[in-house]
Amino acid sequence: MAESGDPLRIAYLEAVDGLTVARQAPPRRAGSFSATYVAPAGWAFDEPGAEGTARLVAHLAAVAAGPFDRVELARRLDRLGATLTSQCAPESAELTVWGPADAWATLLGLLSEAVARPRFAPEDVAKARRQLLERQLQEATQPASRAEREFLRAVFPERHPYRGTGVGNRRSLGRLSRARLLRFHRRQFLARGGIVVLTTAARGPAVVREVRRRFGSVPTGTEPTLPSTARTAGPPARRTIDLPGRSQVEVRIGGAGLARADPRYPAAYLANEVLGGRPLLSRLFQRVRERGGLAYRAHSDLEAMRWGGYWVASAGTGADRWRKVVPMLSEELARLREEEVPARELRLVRESAIGEIPLSLEVTSDAHELAVDAAYHRLAEDHWRRWPGLLRALRPRDLREVAAAAFGPAGPVTVVAGPLEPRR
Amino acid sequence: MARERVPRPRTRSFALRNGLQVLLAPMPESPTVSVWVWYRVGSKNERPGITGASHWVEHMLFEGSPRYAKGEIDRAVVRVGGSLNAFTDVDFTAYYTTVPREHLDVPLDIEADRMTRAFLADGEVARERTVIHSEREGNENWPEFRVEEELYELAFREHPYRWDALGHRIDIETMSAAQLREYYHRFYGPRNALLIVSGGFSPGPVAAEIRRRFAPLPTGGEEVRVAVREPPPHGERRGELRGPGTTPYLQIGFPAPALAEPETPSTIVLDAVLGGETRLFSTGPRWGRAREHPDSRLYRGLVDPGLAVRASSDWRPRVDPGLFTVQVQAAEGVSLDRLEAATLRILDRLAARGPTAREIADLRTKVRRASRLAYEGASGTGFRLGYFWVLDSLPSEDRLYSALLRVTPGEVRERARALFRPERRVVVRYRPTGEPTDG
Repeated sequence: MAESGDPLRIAYLEAVDGLTVARQAPPRRAGSFSATYVAPAGWAFDEPGAEGTARLVAHLAAVAAGPFDRVELARRLDRLGATLTSQCAPESAELTVWGPADAWATLLGLLSEAVARPRFAPEDVAKARRQLLERQLQEATQPASRAEREFLRAVFPERHPYRGTGVGNRRSLGRLSRARLLRFHRRQFLARGGIVVLTTAARGPAVVREVRRRFGSVPTGTEPTLPSTARTAGPPARRTIDLPGRSQVEVRIGGAGLARADPRYPAAYLANEVLGGRPLLSRLFQRVRERGGLAYRAHSDLEAMRWGGYWVASAGTGADRWRKVVPMLSEELARLREEEVPARELRLVRESAIGEIPLSLEVTSDAHELAVDAAYHRLAEDHWRRWPGLLRALRPRDLREVAAAAFGPAGPVTVVAGPLEPRR
Repeated sequence: MARERVPRPRTRSFALRNGLQVLLAPMPESPTVSVWVWYRVGSKNERPGITGASHWVEHMLFEGSPRYAKGEIDRAVVRVGGSLNAFTDVDFTAYYTTVPREHLDVPLDIEADRMTRAFLADGEVARERTVIHSEREGNENWPEFRVEEELYELAFREHPYRWDALGHRIDIETMSAAQLREYYHRFYGPRNALLIVSGGFSPGPVAAEIRRRFAPLPTGGEEVRVAVREPPPHGERRGELRGPGTTPYLQIGFPAPALAEPETPSTIVLDAVLGGETRLFSTGPRWGRAREHPDSRLYRGLVDPGLAVRASSDWRPRVDPGLFTVQVQAAEGVSLDRLEAATLRILDRLAARGPTAREIADLRTKVRRASRLAYEGASGTGFRLGYFWVLDSLPSEDRLYSALLRVTPGEVRERARALFRPERRVVVRYRPTGEPTDG
């Protein structure tokens, strides 16, 4: 069968020593290439007392690897016109290389060096620790970061993988030695459980050949054991954190959500779009900003991961307005749980979500994000082709039911962080 | 030696009788089409009392015009899966809409409707006031914003680059709808605008469609060049802010050339040597992303030895002379005095010895490679074309690119000497205070 040139389809190729390999065709005429390695190496896998490990490992893997110290790696990337970036999330760590399409094999080689042979040079470790410490301070003092942190702590119980933000604390940072980082890397950056996704015009056999050549030194290993995701619903929580001297108050209202693989995910996705996910059209934007004039930002996010997720409505508003905004967000959450979305509104939001798919195919890097998402969640090869049909099959009742189930009997958590009283 | 050029899509341009300039950049394979309207009006066209007017008008152009009642623009675009937004700078205001290619008529209709006939109704202006306030408050939460605002206030005493595009709090509280309407009617119109269409379309029919929709608009829109020239400073200016934050933070600024000035290429090289990045030719998808540059002077001199957690430099392309700035976030336990002294030593060394031949060679490679993928995607193309046009001219990109590849270490040293003189320096320091309390 001819290989697909359709960027909305991915192809799962022959696995390489347990490493899942997926290929996506690039948008037409694209001059760039992207490849991502995803490892089960998020901060959920941090050892107790060593929080921050996963973030440091992911960051440092993209800093210096194999024959390249940090300066040489930066120069090598510049000479190629490429970037190598990292991301860390609760479940996974991602390393992504981007650059000119005609250098794809070389770029894949750089990615494999970062995956298999990060250096963790002591001076780089010390620097990254200092940066993470500053990030900790930011989480404590910056309203947006603080609200996010407190929200997760209120929703998820002790030891739950989504409870933290991966930055650790002062004490845990002190424990993050090079030896510990190496140990974490050896344990989590493996072929089995790992995924490589390439957005390239190269054919499948050439891709497999190149992945085998470049990633052959990555140990096969065994897929890491999942941390416990058990959670017990606590009482509805409300937390207010006064951060005097700041200008804006950050509000978060929400609760635990569902996993991406949950069959109700399309309904949850669309319910979130109605609530606050769809820019400009959403209820939160319309009510809080357009009609109320109370905030510049009012939106909601559905974080659906492998093991679960959360659903949160957010707004940034003034010290003199947050007391009006909080009930608005709560009421909109309640309306979604209790009332069916009118057919006209549902149609508008749904067709908008479907219509925007071509916008994801403007450039390689955006199309690549679709492919990484599909491969990480083990979705069907034609998932993005089928996506419009999944959305069109939904009824208003499906959205109401998924919203009603989302926050459980305990109801949503409310967090307010910022200057609680206006300046005098 | 033949001049090198940035590879970009072929463009076709024409002007309508009412003054509207049109630039078409067909990209036949693109599944999307992007419509950009750039107006030569920004906060530099404001005056004390109406600072922030450009930005506020930008908001109001989504709030009602004859064919699009409040909220209708959003609905019309989002309904077809498009995305839209706008942004206001000190020199310009830009609006963009990207839609699947079969829906090009939607953004064209919107832009023609609001170019001269937006309502800016009293009630909507009043309601938007708190939204604008809220946007400003969100920025004020970050010490970086507050420091930068203070830096520009100190650096510019006469020129309107003195205030941020968001405007002063007091003006946001007092500006009237009538003032905004007057501002809109003065600066908005075909004569002060560029319409760019980039992406998947056929130029012939689209040119005809543009003529049909935009030619009937009345001539209007005034381009006003700011006549004021900032007098040269005669001594260092300093400021210090206190407030909640993480670690001490510092910005240092120096008066710097406008985009069209001959000193610009060597200033850009200076930026790249110090901070590792050039704003106009950076590597990465969608004009690059913030990343560390471990081979830059500031990184080696401040982050490597543990004095800072972040250090960067920035020269922003401007119509009039602006600022070259350095930003440094201290590592915990490092004092502002120590941080500032170390930063100034780096600048002094560069002024004394200039960059190395290797730094220049690396920069040339970086610029050449980055430019190869500078025009990927309809939206990015519309942005980049408009950005050069509004700040200078379309050919300025190639001129600059070509000049950048010829800059010598000696020229950069001379530029550093001229730029980093102590009497031209502006320094603003941020001292974090206070601990959060749990309520």
